[in-house]
Amino acid sequence: MEQMLGTGLDRAVILFYFAIVMGFGAYFGKYSKTTTDYFFGGRRFSWWLITISIVATGIGSHSFVKYTTKAYQYGFSSTMTYMNDWFFMPLFMFGWLPIIYYSKVRSIPEYFERRFNPTARYLATFMILLYMIGYIAIQFLTLATALYKIYGIPLMLTVLLIAFATTIYMHYGGQTSVIFTDLIQGFVLIFAGVLLFFLGIQFLGMNTDMSGFKAFWTFLSPENKLPLANFNSPPDFNFVGIFWQDGIAGSIGFLFLNQGLIMRFMAAKSVDEGRKAAAFNVLIILPISAIVVSNAGWIGRAIANGVPGVIPENVVANDVFVIVTNIISSPGVFGFIIAALCAALMSTADTLVNASSAIIVNDIYRPLTKKSKSEEEQLHFARMASIIVKIIAVILVPFFNSFDSIYEAHGWFHSTFTPPLVVAVFMGIFWKRFTSAAVIATFIFGAFLMILGQFNPELISPFSHGIELRPGRGYSYIGALYNLVVCAGVGILVTLFSKPDKDNKLDGLTVFDVHKLKFLYKGSEPNEAKGTDIIVDWKEDKKLKDGVRFSQNDMKKMKASQGDLVYLQDARLWLGGLKSIHSVFEKPHNEDGVVYIGSKQIDHGQFIKKNSLKAEKEM
Amino acid sequence: MTFQETWLPFIYLYGAGGLAFFLGLILIIKTKALRLDYFKHKKWLGVLLYGLFFYMFIHSMFIFLAISS
Repeated sequence: MEQMLGTGLDRAVILFYFAIVMGFGAYFGKYSKTTTDYFFGGRRFSWWLITISIVATGIGSHSFVKYTTKAYQYGFSSTMTYMNDWFFMPLFMFGWLPIIYYSKVRSIPEYFERRFNPTARYLATFMILLYMIGYIAIQFLTLATALYKIYGIPLMLTVLLIAFATTIYMHYGGQTSVIFTDLIQGFVLIFAGVLLFFLGIQFLGMNTDMSGFKAFWTFLSPENKLPLANFNSPPDFNFVGIFWQDGIAGSIGFLFLNQGLIMRFMAAKSVDEGRKAAAFNVLIILPISAIVVSNAGWIGRAIANGVPGVIPENVVANDVFVIVTNIISSPGVFGFIIAALCAALMSTADTLVNASSAIIVNDIYRPLTKKSKSEEEQLHFARMASIIVKIIAVILVPFFNSFDSIYEAHGWFHSTFTPPLVVAVFMGIFWKRFTSAAVIATFIFGAFLMILGQFNPELISPFSHGIELRPGRGYSYIGALYNLVVCAGVGILVTLFSKPDKDNKLDGLTVFDVHKLKFLYKGSEPNEAKGTDIIVDWKEDKKLKDGVRFSQNDMKKMKASQGDLVYLQDARLWLGGLKSIHSVFEKPHNEDGVVYIGSKQIDHGQFIKKNSLKAEKEM
Repeated sequence: MTFQETWLPFIYLYGAGGLAFFLGLILIIKTKALRLDYFKHKKWLGVLLYGLFFYMFIHSMFIFLAISS
């Protein structure tokens, strides 16, 4: 039996952390009353809440292992994939985000049906589900690999325990639980990463004759300090391959196709809040995340160069994270950092599970059930679907465990499932002429040509940029460029030879209609007059159903008219919109400073009698 | 250190990536998804350009630091 890492205190810290997160997540179950709440958190949260919860989603448990490995081998260039997402931000913030928000699509496959046809939806559903469930399996496997070394229990039993733990807090809470547990887990992840760096610097200071920072900088070679990898070598880590795989295919996949991320943006209270969350995430949070997931590798490299003998020379690359953490941290702290690894897993897995069950309910259950089901029945099915997703993911774990490394399993996954979807969604949004026949051809013939390329690497050679072909293993990252080109080629050719779809069918589904999306969303001309937000007390009006009633003077302050849309939230802004509703201005009254709300809306907003509300006109 | 290791990846990244960025920007302005007559949208345009130059600055600074060390 392998030697167990960590102490009893470390094991206790990890268990304590699991218990806290499960309790916290289960508490937020009371905020999920409909499937909209369950999947989208009721579209009510502030940008800062969305941003911090995205941190935890973006950093998976595999991120720590994968990036620490590359950081140990190649230095600062391990951050490349976290620092190349800005190029598609204009198209995301002003193209895709308003389209998904205002068109009220519940899933990416639903967009495919509206934009193209039901066949496109089914193909997209199949591919996206495969992608996400496989991704969950990889998350389970990564964490189980670490925990099994610490607790010494069999790998598959560890996988089952992790799946069970995430089920407890997600089962009732859905997206609201996911957002709030990811909020604390985001802080834990960042804190653990910074702590790890600080401990590493301290270790270097204590074990060399220099200050910690000086030792860190001195013992990294100049090559280690370069922020981008060598242009085209070595084959397993080169700039140009990673640029096409991650900077292009990965970034578009992440921003435009990641159902989990998109659901997070749809949980924002408005499109503008979604934009703020996206910008803050890519500009501030991603560079910090890059340091969080990589620094154990940099510290490890500096220790290996400056304090020989501490890290074994024949260290297995995937073990660098756990070994370095164990060396530089004391008992209890090691447990806390491994708990952060658990945080990374749980927050990524819960997002993906919630997203997968959204797709199962929205794209399989609803279209296939002939009778319309009540909200309760749908919510029950959504919860069952999330359990089914986890069971399938657990079954898939042994398959991914058969790859040489988690990095390889993840890479195979990305390059196989992303390109056809990326091309299809991108051309669907930004090229009106792109037809239904073309999108199906992209999925089927594009995938066929991709498989052909996997078995015949000479097809990829013209795109290789001089990257060496490894016999028997083919090209790794640069295959993404070939895949994108063949999928886009098929899409363009079939579009040019097929009959264009009718223009009115595309209403509100391409970037060319973004300027009229607000009109389509509201159902009448949006009111863009800039008023002021007001603080009001609230009273119940049992006769009111969907709308709310303000005084005439308050409506004047907000520059609102009857029929306009309004957002009401608990005036305590630190709640981030947790207690809030979207509603419509009804006929005004004469009692200034008071809003009348229907019973159902009060219950939905979870408003408390003594607390005032902040009201803002939306449009 | 060779050009292949230092500046070529930088030029490729901001050449190809920059092309995608500016084509995207032109598309959203032309389609009026981003309206320059809206004050809020003008501010967003500033943020978008700032983001690109922010990353260019970070990458170039570390290349200079690596070369000089």
